[in-house]
Amino acid sequence: MIVTRSWLNEFIDLSGVSNETLYETFNAIGLEVDSMEEVKIPEKVVVGKILSCEKHPDADKLNVCQIDVGSQKLQIVCGAANVVDAEYVAVATIGAVLPGDFKIKHAKLRGVESAGMVCAASELGLPDMGKGIMILDESIGMLEVGRELGSYEKVADTIIELELTANRGDCLSIYGVARDLSAALNIEMKPFEVKLEERMKLGIARKADLHTKGEMDADLCYKLARVEKSASSFLIKLRLAMVKVEASCALEELLAYATHATGVILRMYSCASLCEPEDEKVIVSVEAYAKGIIHVYANGKHVSIVGVNQVAKTKPTDESNEVLIEASYIHPDLLSEAVASLDVEKDELFYKTSRGSNGDLTFGLTYLSYLMETYTKSECYEGALEVEVEREQMKILVDANEISSIIGMDVDLGKIATVLQKLGFEITAMNDHQLATKVPLFRHDIKNIQDIAEEIVRIIGINNIPAKPLVFAEKKRLNATSDRYKAKKALRNRAVGIGFYENVSYVFSERATLEQYGFEVTKDALELANPIAEELNTLRSTLLTNQLLAVKRNVSYTKKSIPLFEIGAVFDAERNQSERMVFVFAGQVEVESIKNAGKPPLIDFATFTQKLGAVIGHFELVPCTQKNGLIHPYQSADIVKDDKVCGFISKLHPTVQEAYGIPVTFIAEVELEALMPKHINAKPISNFQGVYKDLSIVIDKSMNYYEVVKVLNGLDLPMLKESYPIDVYTDEKLGDKKSLTIRFFIQSMEKTLKEKDIEEVMQKIIEALASECGAELR
Amino acid sequence: MENLEVKILQADSLEALEKVRIELFGKKGVLAAEFAKMKDIPGPEKKAFAEGLNKQKAALQATFDSRYEALKAEEIEKVLKSEAIDVSLYGTLAQKGALHPVMETMDKIIDYFVALNFSVESGNMVEDDFHNFEALNLPKYHPARDMQDTFYFKDGGLLRTHTSPVQIRTMLKEKPPIRMIAPGSVFRRDYDVTHTPMFHQVEGLVVDEKGKISFANLKAILTDFLQYMFGDVDVRFRPSFFPFTEPSAEVDISCIFCDGEGCRVCSHTGWIEILGCGIVDPNVFKAVGYEDVSGYAFGLGVERIAMLVHKIPDLRSLFEGDIRLLEQFR
Repeated sequence: MIVTRSWLNEFIDLSGVSNETLYETFNAIGLEVDSMEEVKIPEKVVVGKILSCEKHPDADKLNVCQIDVGSQKLQIVCGAANVVDAEYVAVATIGAVLPGDFKIKHAKLRGVESAGMVCAASELGLPDMGKGIMILDESIGMLEVGRELGSYEKVADTIIELELTANRGDCLSIYGVARDLSAALNIEMKPFEVKLEERMKLGIARKADLHTKGEMDADLCYKLARVEKSASSFLIKLRLAMVKVEASCALEELLAYATHATGVILRMYSCASLCEPEDEKVIVSVEAYAKGIIHVYANGKHVSIVGVNQVAKTKPTDESNEVLIEASYIHPDLLSEAVASLDVEKDELFYKTSRGSNGDLTFGLTYLSYLMETYTKSECYEGALEVEVEREQMKILVDANEISSIIGMDVDLGKIATVLQKLGFEITAMNDHQLATKVPLFRHDIKNIQDIAEEIVRIIGINNIPAKPLVFAEKKRLNATSDRYKAKKALRNRAVGIGFYENVSYVFSERATLEQYGFEVTKDALELANPIAEELNTLRSTLLTNQLLAVKRNVSYTKKSIPLFEIGAVFDAERNQSERMVFVFAGQVEVESIKNAGKPPLIDFATFTQKLGAVIGHFELVPCTQKNGLIHPYQSADIVKDDKVCGFISKLHPTVQEAYGIPVTFIAEVELEALMPKHINAKPISNFQGVYKDLSIVIDKSMNYYEVVKVLNGLDLPMLKESYPIDVYTDEKLGDKKSLTIRFFIQSMEKTLKEKDIEEVMQKIIEALASECGAELR
Repeated sequence: MENLEVKILQADSLEALEKVRIELFGKKGVLAAEFAKMKDIPGPEKKAFAEGLNKQKAALQATFDSRYEALKAEEIEKVLKSEAIDVSLYGTLAQKGALHPVMETMDKIIDYFVALNFSVESGNMVEDDFHNFEALNLPKYHPARDMQDTFYFKDGGLLRTHTSPVQIRTMLKEKPPIRMIAPGSVFRRDYDVTHTPMFHQVEGLVVDEKGKISFANLKAILTDFLQYMFGDVDVRFRPSFFPFTEPSAEVDISCIFCDGEGCRVCSHTGWIEILGCGIVDPNVFKAVGYEDVSGYAFGLGVERIAMLVHKIPDLRSLFEGDIRLLEQFR
């Protein structure tokens, strides 16, 4: 919503209010100032009167004007076509400096002397008012030849753009904004009084009829007017340009101006478009189509939907000589709900009607009639055709104590009453701590005591409310979510400690990519209906594809070592949400340095696994059962924690690596649930010496160590405390066999081991491995 | 005996000194020989002789010890020198990753409220109309729904546009008093220089019996919170509108780039908009079946705060895993 200072001044006297105060007040009462621009007309730009205007002898498009600027008469060559229609214009005299550091000097145009420039609005830093020079008139004040244009307050105005919240339809007009200011600044509104001449004695009933059909839920008021000429004024054009409202003809300018000023929804229909030549009357028929949807017909033709749109060809033009004027009000909630389920075109007025327009139709019509009488020499037929809806006005009982407790400071009932009255509320009853108030129609957003409290807060100013810490009962508020959050934070810090960067990516993925690599996708019936882009058209079921894109970007930024992790949400086909932690490591293990003589190794399975373990703790690797297109079939494993598969680790499949154009990459994705800290009970520690024993066995080359582990785990050997592989060896002599060296730690809880005890344990191991794995001693 | 001392002092290595030690203090050494003479000394002089000899022995031992220390130190110094490296070459080896600035900011925000005994709550990203809109006093066709361009699913589900549904779910699950924050990802269908389809919010909600919680309380906690996040800034409250709170306010801090003088970042206003808050609307309480309660709520955008605190110029770069950005936060 854009307002100007001088326009506001029509409704409230702002003469004692500085722009700084205005700025602060708007912000303080919740009408946020987006921008505030003081129009500065350059000095030496004055009002000039054109005495004569003749064609330039040597140039078709130029005119040579003799202009009176008070102190002297100047000859100025002007290129604008509309100068021939002008009497009073803005003249930049010699020495004036126009915006863009454009200095006005003596000039010769095609041989003719020119001592200044006749200005267009945009040349003076005013908003663009269309083609040609500005043609001034007395709408901005009395025109005195030679007077500085900048001294006219209505020209050198202040343009204020307000950012309105969705509930403040009442401030979508100059009048509404003035009313809010009146309460905030404690300045009375100026009474709006115009005297309309009653020149026409003809009643409207002679020329128009109104019929209704169905239950009416809109207020409507129609007037009929005869238009003598199509004209508005310089000020109207200037202000419409300042508030960025467009109009296509003079009548539309008046209409838009009146609507912007009063907030009343006004429409105009050209009678010529409604009536056939033989029609003697305009027959307006208003029909309820559905709740909140009112169709308007004129002489059988559909012309508009109240609050929504108007048939274009019924709009007034410069040729219109008789017009039907309509003022309307419909409750915004009713309208918004009705329109949402209807596929209809909405015009620029819908923004106002859906947020709440001014229901004071008489005010709007009077304002417009006054403009039309003044500028178009219109005559209105006497009386009006009206539809009025019975509405129950919202009543609220306001208790000063309740208001005080919501705000947190004592507010006096008298102060509450004053604020509400200034805001247009009617006080119907009052005792020493309560008052009853009727909410005006234009404040449809006020429904309860807290809404009233908001009005009070706005006007007394939040910054005048003291801050008070809340006293709250002690209670433990740590819960599973805060535990989980703490665990996540620890995981993240460990990942960072081992060199990974934290990535945050969208929970979206490209469905085609997920399908291509064999990941789960959301069921079609549950899929996103309005994705924002093709590559973000589904919920991700893996964190990995987003990481690969990040790796790709980092490669393009010439990064050679790319370790990333992310903790984030994934969704299954049923759209169930869970969290995972993902790791990718691409390229070099580390940066080039003294340590690696400038040739750092590339990431490999062992290093990646070690880093992963430093973050997520102990795990086992078993043959990979996961299936997706990113997995390298021969360098991949399921990650087992607490005897459960919770994710996988793999070298990135070389074809994917190539497709993304990235270096050697390792990936791992783990269910976050499996990484949550577990309760641990300590086991007794033996006080007796233990021994390490190494065993080298020869087994099939294709046999995984995992098979050996299964055999060892199946043995009932309480003294065997630990076992782990320490060497694998192959050579030609071994053929399709390999030698595997395993280290065992043997210890008893009860006694110091004797050679015989150790032998017994080792013998059982050897026998089991021989029978189950076909192992031979080396 | 004097030249014995000279011998000790002339030993130029630990080996040479060891030879001298044997020569002097050994079983067959000079001192042993001197002490052996004792048996030939007549009784009355024996004591004086022994004292004299012991004194000499102690003096020689002291000289020896100090010489030993000196040679030992020389030797260690030699070993140390031989192990010298150019340590300045290794500084670049220090390698650590970095937390994401948005997540790190989120941590900092959560830490504050947890310290004030707020519980942390979470919820699903896929929500329904009731929890995301209806219960928050945003009935269908409410013009305020325009503010939140929503991602919908074919079955009518939606991606939450704010973390407020977590408040609704917590209130439906628990009885007041409530004192909670809900951090998490939220989604709006908007993608340009200043908007990403996903971003992060932290919302707060405090509910207690009617009349207990006022706007003044909200002012106290948010002013303190913003000074915790941004240091010594001025905090300004402006009335605003949110369907779920009434009265509502937007909170600004004095611009941290120009100290309130006015600059490009604050659009020459001297103020930066930072969060929204208000007293919970009675319709919200009605939707969850709470009676006779009062409460306040607030919500803030984590990216915005992270960008301000760390002076990060480009919002979208936060979602690209760009190591050039991340490595600055090591």
